Amino acid sequence: MSEFLDLEAQDGIRMTWNIIPGTKQDAANCVVPVSAIYTPLKPNPAIPVLPYAPLRCRMCRSILNAFSVVDFVAKIWVCPFCFQRNHFPQHYSTISENNLPAELFPQFTTVEYISTAETGPVAPPVFLFVVDTCMIEEEIGYLKSALAQAIELLPDQSLVGFITFGTYVQVHELGFGLLQKSYVFKGTKEVTKEQILDQMGFFAGKTKPTTGVIAGARDGLSAGNIARFLLPASECEFVLNSIIEELQKDPWPVSADKRSSRCTGVALSVAASLLGVCVPGSGARIMAFVGGPSTEGPGSIVSKSLSEPIRSHKDLDKGSPQLYTKAVKFYENISKQLVDQGHVLDLFACALDQVGIAEMKVAVERTGGIVVLAESFGHSVFKDSLRRIFQTSDNDLDLSFNGIFEINCSKDVKIQGIIGPCTSLEKQSPLSSDTVVGQGNTSAWKMCGLDRKTSLCLIFDIAKKDGPDSIVQSASNQFYFQFLTYYQHHGGQMRLRATTLSRKWVAGSGSELIAGFDQEAAAAVMARLVSFKMEAAHNLHVAFRLLSQYDGYSLVPADFDPIRWLDRALITFCSKFGDYHKETPSSFSLSPRLSIFPQFMFNLRRSQFVQVFNNSPDETAYFTMMLNRENVANAVVMIQPSLISYSFQSGPEPVLLDVTAIAADRILLLDSYFTIVIFHGITIAQWRKAGYQDQEGHESFAQLLQAPKEEADAIIKERFPVPRLVVCDQYGSQARFLLAKLNPSVSYNSDNPPPPGGDVIFTDDVSFQVFMDHLQRLAVQ
Amino acid sequence: VDIKGLPRPLDGDEEPVKLSEAFPLNCHPRYFRLTTHAIPASQSLVSRWHLPLGAVVHPLAESPDGEEVPVINFGSAGVIRCRRCRTYINPYATFADAGRKWRCNLCTLLNDVPGEYFSALDASGRRYDTDQRPELSKGTVEFVAPTEYMVRPPMPPSYFFLIDVSVSAVRSGLLEVVAKTIKSCLDELPGFPRTQIGFLTFDSTLHFHNFKSSLSQPQMMVVADLDDVFLPLPDDLLVNLVDSRHVVDSFLDSLPNMFHDNVNVESALGPALKAAFMVMSQIGGKLLVFQSTLPSLGIGRLRLRGDDVRAYGTDKEHTLRVPEDPFYKQMAAEFTKNQIAVDIFSFSEKYSDIASLGSLAKYTGGQVYHYPSFQAVTHGDKLKHELSRDLTRETAWESVMRIRCGKGVRFTTYHGHFMLRSTDLLALPAVDSDKAFAMQLSLEETLMTTQTVYFQVALLYTSSSGERRIRVHTAAAPVVTDLSEMYRQADTGAIVSVLGRTAVENSLSDKLDSVRQQLQLKLVRSLKEYRNLYVVQHRIGGRLIFPESLRYLPLYILAICKSLALRGGYADVSLDERCAAGFSMMILPVKGLLNFIYPSLYRVDEVLTLEPNKIDFSLKRLPLTMQCLDTGGLYLLDDGFTFLVWLGRMLPPELVNSVLGISLANFPDLSKIQVTECDNEFSRNFMKILRTLREKNPSYHQLCRVVRQGEQPREGFLLLSNLVEDQMAGTSSYVDWILQIHRQTQS
Ligand SMILES: [Zn+2]
Ligand SMILES: [Zn+2]
Repeated sequence: MSEFLDLEAQDGIRMTWNIIPGTKQDAANCVVPVSAIYTPLKPNPAIPVLPYAPLRCRMCRSILNAFSVVDFVAKIWVCPFCFQRNHFPQHYSTISENNLPAELFPQFTTVEYISTAETGPVAPPVFLFVVDTCMIEEEIGYLKSALAQAIELLPDQSLVGFITFGTYVQVHELGFGLLQKSYVFKGTKEVTKEQILDQMGFFAGKTKPTTGVIAGARDGLSAGNIARFLLPASECEFVLNSIIEELQKDPWPVSADKRSSRCTGVALSVAASLLGVCVPGSGARIMAFVGGPSTEGPGSIVSKSLSEPIRSHKDLDKGSPQLYTKAVKFYENISKQLVDQGHVLDLFACALDQVGIAEMKVAVERTGGIVVLAESFGHSVFKDSLRRIFQTSDNDLDLSFNGIFEINCSKDVKIQGIIGPCTSLEKQSPLSSDTVVGQGNTSAWKMCGLDRKTSLCLIFDIAKKDGPDSIVQSASNQFYFQFLTYYQHHGGQMRLRATTLSRKWVAGSGSELIAGFDQEAAAAVMARLVSFKMEAAHNLHVAFRLLSQYDGYSLVPADFDPIRWLDRALITFCSKFGDYHKETPSSFSLSPRLSIFPQFMFNLRRSQFVQVFNNSPDETAYFTMMLNRENVANAVVMIQPSLISYSFQSGPEPVLLDVTAIAADRILLLDSYFTIVIFHGITIAQWRKAGYQDQEGHESFAQLLQAPKEEADAIIKERFPVPRLVVCDQYGSQARFLLAKLNPSVSYNSDNPPPPGGDVIFTDDVSFQVFMDHLQRLAVQ
Repeated sequence: VDIKGLPRPLDGDEEPVKLSEAFPLNCHPRYFRLTTHAIPASQSLVSRWHLPLGAVVHPLAESPDGEEVPVINFGSAGVIRCRRCRTYINPYATFADAGRKWRCNLCTLLNDVPGEYFSALDASGRRYDTDQRPELSKGTVEFVAPTEYMVRPPMPPSYFFLIDVSVSAVRSGLLEVVAKTIKSCLDELPGFPRTQIGFLTFDSTLHFHNFKSSLSQPQMMVVADLDDVFLPLPDDLLVNLVDSRHVVDSFLDSLPNMFHDNVNVESALGPALKAAFMVMSQIGGKLLVFQSTLPSLGIGRLRLRGDDVRAYGTDKEHTLRVPEDPFYKQMAAEFTKNQIAVDIFSFSEKYSDIASLGSLAKYTGGQVYHYPSFQAVTHGDKLKHELSRDLTRETAWESVMRIRCGKGVRFTTYHGHFMLRSTDLLALPAVDSDKAFAMQLSLEETLMTTQTVYFQVALLYTSSSGERRIRVHTAAAPVVTDLSEMYRQADTGAIVSVLGRTAVENSLSDKLDSVRQQLQLKLVRSLKEYRNLYVVQHRIGGRLIFPESLRYLPLYILAICKSLALRGGYADVSLDERCAAGFSMMILPVKGLLNFIYPSLYRVDEVLTLEPNKIDFSLKRLPLTMQCLDTGGLYLLDDGFTFLVWLGRMLPPELVNSVLGISLANFPDLSKIQVTECDNEFSRNFMKILRTLREKNPSYHQLCRVVRQGEQPREGFLLLSNLVEDQMAGTSSYVDWILQIHRQTQS
């Protein structure tokens, strides 16, 4: 495993197969697809930052890299992707074996270019706040103080805009100065860019150009007009503070049997159009703070009547999906607009109710936005996460903008697509596979927003057919990959990060492949894949049902069964790679390279990603979005939480995620990524309640109590969004947060009794042991 | 004809005071005047009376100190009214059955007297308590109305301001004057502490202002969707002045600066009116519209149809004087329905279609103020005074007015600013002491059988203090069978008021020329009829004779024909000014109207040189003819709206210098002169004269303009056209007029 981690540290990449099955059929037999999880902006101080533009291959436009074969005499380099011979330009004339440019150093497989020549002046980032006002006063109060704090932390040069919404949308003219002024739009109608231009006085006193797309300072909008709405943070702090100070609950009356009239959709559409008018192509993010479901105008997810509940997974599966489908369509359009403009949508959803993350997901994910889900604007999950975005610290998010991600691969590798926060630019090339997964049909993707943690999951296709000639031809048995990320660095300037990789491929299948198998990466990829398939199947299902409703169309595809799909994959995988005698389950064993994969799959089956009915559609969308942007290590925690035990008997030690881990004299620390649970065994809890930790002579108990807290704090500090911390005691009601994640090896219907001081889980779920028994039986058939 | 001997109304309006002696129980004529205080007994008599048969009502006329209208609260007895015709108890009611019954003087029904109201009668059948009960002894009283007279709790006085802030409003300084004036009036707005206030500014967009009392500053909210106007807030756009005073103050302080750099030339008045309606519709109140350009966007946008010379004299001429777009009339109907009165303040330097804008005021009981080519330096004072008066004068809210009359007669047409709610109910969302109404009577029966006809004006309104009240004016008039008695009792002021208003109305459906001909025809027929009476009786041959009571009528009718609203044709008056004058004539009380059409002319230079304590300021009025103007004199013409200072050619330059602070030798632009007090006796005296005149007529602020003799074309427009006795540009002189009328009465 550690070699994979080293590779990740250097290049930000984890691959499922680090030795690649060499043909299409081999790859298919491997079950887990050839894929990579790549973190383009993973911080690494060792990466050289080169102050010049990269050299490109004449033929395939890939960039000169450490794998290029160089003829120092002829001053020629050979492109490893297309084998084109390229001449070095004049300024590389002094190149020699002893005088290499950094990009040719073998250890610099990842380099970064800042080419100052072609980039214009540094564009300051834009933050457009879009703030819901349909909340109880208490929530407004929380939100106000969080916003005030965020405003204080904004980088001085960044531009700020402010929009509030409820029944109507109010765009605040921060540059008006004299007093608070805003433009008000109805919540029931979409607002176009044209209307924004006309109605917000962008052409007051001037004649409007009759032709052409008018947007931005370059297209004839005066900087003065733009500065009415988007101002440097340093100049509008006072105005912003007074707006926030006087922020009022939406004043329109709401009867007791009704939901507030909340036009989230139109507010976001206005925000998108305002940015499109003012700063197209410049790094900008809409930060939406939403305190409840959208009920007004396009994008609404539920009617105002409280008697109608907000859609659940069951409703989406069975009931009328009309509002859902319309809203998704609406947000798809917003996402297209934002991607065209290069802008990001961040969503801070803080409500006990659902707010429509499921519908808005497309706009957040396609633009690479941040999403935070909390129960209240007063909750630390929200407050601390928001602060983290702006606060400068070691755990900076390094918010970057306007990314374009491109890949180059060896001829026999194709790309099916990316599952992650990006949008296909539909740039078809020989590289793009006919099979499309996620954002595909392309070799270039837009990443409006990306940060140091953004991780893309690339699914490859091995195109090489079986045949004698193919094996002979490629002498080196190496596949090459080049990942190019163009982006606006959080410092403002444009950069290009280039990672070039090489992986050996082998013909046939077998033990050689196992040596390159990254179980964790595989678990993360399988999780993204199964979520993607569930969602795709669901959307297809909804579309077909709509058709059948209107056109009497009767062919509705069967529901995708994720458990069945995962089980079949795992069984096939184990039959292929396991060691066993046929039909002898007891003989079954797995190489240590593979051995924990079944456990990952077991926990994935039980996870929020697959067991969606335990959550609301909003929660599912949130979990999935986080899964789809996190790196392998974090994804693994989401799938299979980590559990650490603290006791007097031993130091902190990882323990099995099993109910047997519970003991009266233990403290358990569960990290399930979204939630961190500190669980005190009953004895510990009693001591704590007795206050021993404060008494002299019991310092070690105080330390024991303190240790998991410190560990939790350490996790919270580096994680974004900030996880929820639950501190609970055995047999307490909050203990369910732990119990739900544990393997039910001891349940109320199991034979073996719990250990003394242990716990029983009231569940019908199968335990890991039962699962493994079944797996072994089926794998050896 | 002896010019000097021709009758001239140099003492202004003659109130029919003698009537008050003959009918002491009648209300004072300042409230109610009949065109003749003798009601004809038959249709045939009516047909021989060629003048209007009607009345002028000025329900809230200001009363001099000591003559305040008594307020009566009937308490548990309820307001005493006739069961059948709903007439209010009045001095002409009689009592019977030992005081247990009262007979309605209008319909003769015998009504029960409520127990609480009972009083015994004396030998003559008079109640013992008559003198203690104003409603039984005075023609004008005010009743406190109980809750049955309310469809909702009495509304608080509410003022909503709709202010055009497009570039012209900013540059002319209008915004600053308006903001400062309103602010200076806040302490005096009627209805403290219930007064409501709100503002909406607009150019190509609508700007709402949030005055929520908890705010430290107002918040401006722009709504730009003109096709789908909506309110951005459910409350706080029209707020209690006391609660939100600091926010309103802050708003008015920053209003001029707020739009200081505005370059917007558009004006979305129509959508702004709709928005104002949405804000005000719950409460009602006064909507004051400040419009400085032609409405150009959204519903109700107006065309620059302008003043087309080719239309004059054709069938299309009158269409210029009526709204082209039905929007304004429809909007006015909505306003009235919701108890909203609209005052229009118009300031454009170009055509702004007063005809259309004014209809908002016309149907809502409002008023039209016109300040063509407004500049703060010149017109600022006038606007300040008139706006202050509008805001601070006592106003009656959500009112209706009905005039009942005895059997046999009926009011058929009404003239003024109101909306007719049913055949005889005038809806007046707001009404005040500056508004009078005229109406015409007809006989319902061919032959009147009664000796006396009674009239009762009842204005049901909400006072600014929040009390529902009914102001009742009662009057009686004898029924006559003799035409000469009608002539004897004729009231020229009332007749001219009704004629002036009907002429303005006729100009909305006919050519100016025909309107003037009709006026002339009425005069001729009337005099002819009178002449026939006399020729038969006294054999007087070829002389023009008029009854004493109508001796000024020929001149007044000539003056109506030469008034701003009706004179000449295309080039004589700008269309907007003509329409604005027309709107003014429709609301002016008798006295104001007479002075407007036949202004007061004074020579003042001689007075200026007197010792201040010797000036009695009762200046002598002069006939309106050039012949009265001495080239060595300084004259003042006052039509109630403007003071025109005319400087004779031979006027000593030192005097001009002293009075006006300018030297004529430097050829100053007199149109830009502001007359202010200088540090000398002449100037102080002069200003004192102006002040005295203004105090006498506080309804408007007379803008002081200066013209020197021979300064054309200003002299023509400002002075000569007002010298109604002179011949000018195709109009007759007084003498020619009399000769013409005489000739026509002969034929
Ligand atoms: Zn190449
Ligand atoms: Zn009666």
